[in-house]
Amino acid sequence: MDISINTFNTSGDRALLDPRTSIYAIIVISVVMIGGRLSGIEYILRVISCMIPVVFLFAKKNYKLGMIYFLLALLAMIIEGSAIQTSSGFLNLLLVIISGTISRFVPQFMMAYCFMSYTKVSELIVSLEKMHLPDVVIISLAVMFRFFPTIAEENRCVVDAMNMRKTKTKKFSLIERLEYQIVPIMMQSVRIADELSQAAMTKGLGINIHRTHICEVGFRYRDYLMIILLTAILLLFFIY
Amino acid sequence: MGESKNGITVKDCINIGVFAAIYIVVFFITSFVGYIPVLMVILGILCSITTGIPLMLFFSKSHTFGMITAFSVILGLFMVLMGRPWYSILIALVTGLASDYIMQIGKYKSINKAVVSSGVFSLWMIGMTLPMFFGDREAYFESIREGYGDAFVDVLYRLTPNWMFYVMTVLTFIGGILGGLLGRAVLKKHFMKAGMV
Amino acid sequence: MIDINNVTYTYNVTDAMGKRVERIALKNFSLNVKEGQVVVLTGGSGCGKSTVLRLINGLIPHYFAGELHGDVKVNNINVSTNPIYDTAKIVGTVFQNPKNQFFNVDSTSELAFNAENFGRNPDMIINDIDRVSSWMNLNPLIDRSMFELSGGEKQKIACASIAVADTPIIVLDEPTSNLDARGIEKLRKVIALWKKQKKTIIIAEHRLYFLKGLADRVLILKDGEIKKKMNGTVFDALSIAETTKLGLRAVNIEKISDKVRAITAKRTLGKRYISIENLEYVYPDGEHGISRKKLDIPTGAIVCIVGDNGKGKSTLAKCLCGLNKKAKGRVIYDTKQLPLRNMLEHCFMVMQDVNYQLFTESVNDEIQLSVDSKIEEECVNKSNEAMKMLDIEDLPKLHPMALSGGQKQRVALACAVASSKEILILDEPTSGLDYYHMIEVARVLKMLTDNNRTVIVITHDIELVNECADYVIEM
Repeated sequence: MDISINTFNTSGDRALLDPRTSIYAIIVISVVMIGGRLSGIEYILRVISCMIPVVFLFAKKNYKLGMIYFLLALLAMIIEGSAIQTSSGFLNLLLVIISGTISRFVPQFMMAYCFMSYTKVSELIVSLEKMHLPDVVIISLAVMFRFFPTIAEENRCVVDAMNMRKTKTKKFSLIERLEYQIVPIMMQSVRIADELSQAAMTKGLGINIHRTHICEVGFRYRDYLMIILLTAILLLFFIY
Repeated sequence: MGESKNGITVKDCINIGVFAAIYIVVFFITSFVGYIPVLMVILGILCSITTGIPLMLFFSKSHTFGMITAFSVILGLFMVLMGRPWYSILIALVTGLASDYIMQIGKYKSINKAVVSSGVFSLWMIGMTLPMFFGDREAYFESIREGYGDAFVDVLYRLTPNWMFYVMTVLTFIGGILGGLLGRAVLKKHFMKAGMV
Repeated sequence: MIDINNVTYTYNVTDAMGKRVERIALKNFSLNVKEGQVVVLTGGSGCGKSTVLRLINGLIPHYFAGELHGDVKVNNINVSTNPIYDTAKIVGTVFQNPKNQFFNVDSTSELAFNAENFGRNPDMIINDIDRVSSWMNLNPLIDRSMFELSGGEKQKIACASIAVADTPIIVLDEPTSNLDARGIEKLRKVIALWKKQKKTIIIAEHRLYFLKGLADRVLILKDGEIKKKMNGTVFDALSIAETTKLGLRAVNIEKISDKVRAITAKRTLGKRYISIENLEYVYPDGEHGISRKKLDIPTGAIVCIVGDNGKGKSTLAKCLCGLNKKAKGRVIYDTKQLPLRNMLEHCFMVMQDVNYQLFTESVNDEIQLSVDSKIEEECVNKSNEAMKMLDIEDLPKLHPMALSGGQKQRVALACAVASSKEILILDEPTSGLDYYHMIEVARVLKMLTDNNRTVIVITHDIELVNECADYVIEM
């Protein structure tokens, strides 16, 4: 088992959208894509919603993924818009499964991916503070995102150590593998959490203290445009 | 179990974050099984068993009301950011408060209460299976009825009845208890002997 | 600036059996430091030097559980009653493990982190970051992921974030433990700059050579008491014989000793060689890499691979023992030719952080797991033999994680011995060790070669090389 998780942007660029707008977009897309019908106005809303991530993928110059996603989404939408309505029997079931797995799961994942790739953790933290979430949740969340890459690093070392211990006569069973992999990682994590706590305290982190931020977070024109679009989609979706 | 102090400290926040990260990684690795459609049904029980290990270690580090709730809310928040149904976070809030309450009855020191609490905690996962059932489901089946013909849709409808939801909920709860027991065993075998709890 | 008066401190800890134990860390300790002084605290592991730093930065009593008598004042503020986030505005801390002390995913946010917590004006923080990055040469490190930086670079960011926060007092707790020679040099420059800026600096450290010319006062601690005091000039002039007598790491050391060089020059030690040919490895970034036409390693000897090539050394260790599947190369060993990855059958590596290597619930299980046999009797015999050889016979029932660092290292070596693997590779076995433990490692390594094993040590610890090397390869 090799874990690699890359979370969040680390470059100096400011996020394309305010994190609050991005989160709103993820929620709206998931509501429309999971629950929407395949005909009438809801179908049109689905087409619009699932194309939103394409815009951001292209804006981030991620053309390859953007193209792949665009074609997939297009395919799903065409199937849903025409083929499903006209076919029947087994072919119909197959088409529903294919288009359904794409349209009901992928768009919100894509939006989440876009959000992570253009947002810095510190920007997310500031916007969560602006949303008045409790400090405990915000600090914990920041630690969590910082810790994903650490788990990947720790895991790599444990896997190396395990490979070294393999002998010709002894193979590890699945349970042993799990135990020998999870337990050392957790032991290291306890130690890291301890050292991290000490570091954070000497760096002046506290709960309910006044902090400032060097990163800029706030609504711009594009955020307002996006919010209007998303709200329109949501309203139409619930009215019809 | 941790020493009883008042309020959540910076150290507690860091423990919450660290174990939430481990929990999510274990959760995601286990849920790869869910790509095999038949196993989708037992996904809840599987995930709640494997995540029992980090969860019990986290419980052993919690000592005051709110830590477990915060842990749960963070999981829910992360899932929403990952594009799962938005009400996952509300369900996570409720299950988190409930398991925090159970731990409080045991003054955060009772390991048996922790096992029960682990079962309750795991129920946050059902938020993610909800779209397959109840309200959204009607909409889904109505929308495909036009293309399928009534007979076919009815068969499909019967195959995924609402009571399946309750079965999955119960399975997840049982998984959480089993995971709690597994986590307790690992704690005893390794962490207590190593003097780390 | 800093007034520690008559402090006695006892830690409340739980031991391997789960019992509550009290461990006395400081006894009637007093220390007064004036503004602008650089004070070095040194002594063996557990002498109490880290405890002194924790008194100053407030982790005692705000983080560690224990009993504190006497008072500690920093800038005339009582540290134990002052909230620790306020003490943080006066005292900045650098810890020993670079990878476990940063809080943010990207380097720029980390630089601003301390100052942000103080609630400082954002524009001012940005200005300060610019100023600090110009005098510390940080430009290549700005806006990077913390996870792609080397240990030395991470430690530099840790220093820089304190520089941005601009605290008058800086304490460093064994800052070089996980750094290579290059990282240590970077750190030395930073400390020299701080000294010029009249910062008050307290350093707890085993490794002393890089502090030559920087220290104003040096205190040697033993069992929580000051054993010896000296001023900077006396410290700078300490010879190797004198530091050895004090049980300290050397102050004056630059070179591999003539004795070791002479042995290497003869090249007669092992008549047999392990030859590695056309070793080639490229990092995932596609630019940097390791490449070596031929590497001859004599068998049955302690072979030290030294050299200052940044982060390549741990990678080399992984390549040599066949863990790095992407590394290309061919090995001629025992007149047989093998691809590099088959070295895994003959090699065992003791990692720099040995914690990753110990899986099971007792030392006994751990060692028996390594024995390449299904017959139980053979497992027991071989593991007993290995434990005897490494002098850990009294530990078999304990959990490996409850042991001290040195004991863990021995358990890992015992696993290697029990597995009958004949080549042992050690990656920086003495980083962060005091003089006594370093000598212990050297002794164990010699013992292993007496049993006809080949020991490859990848290190930049010149003192260890001088102590035990039969053969030195400089990369």
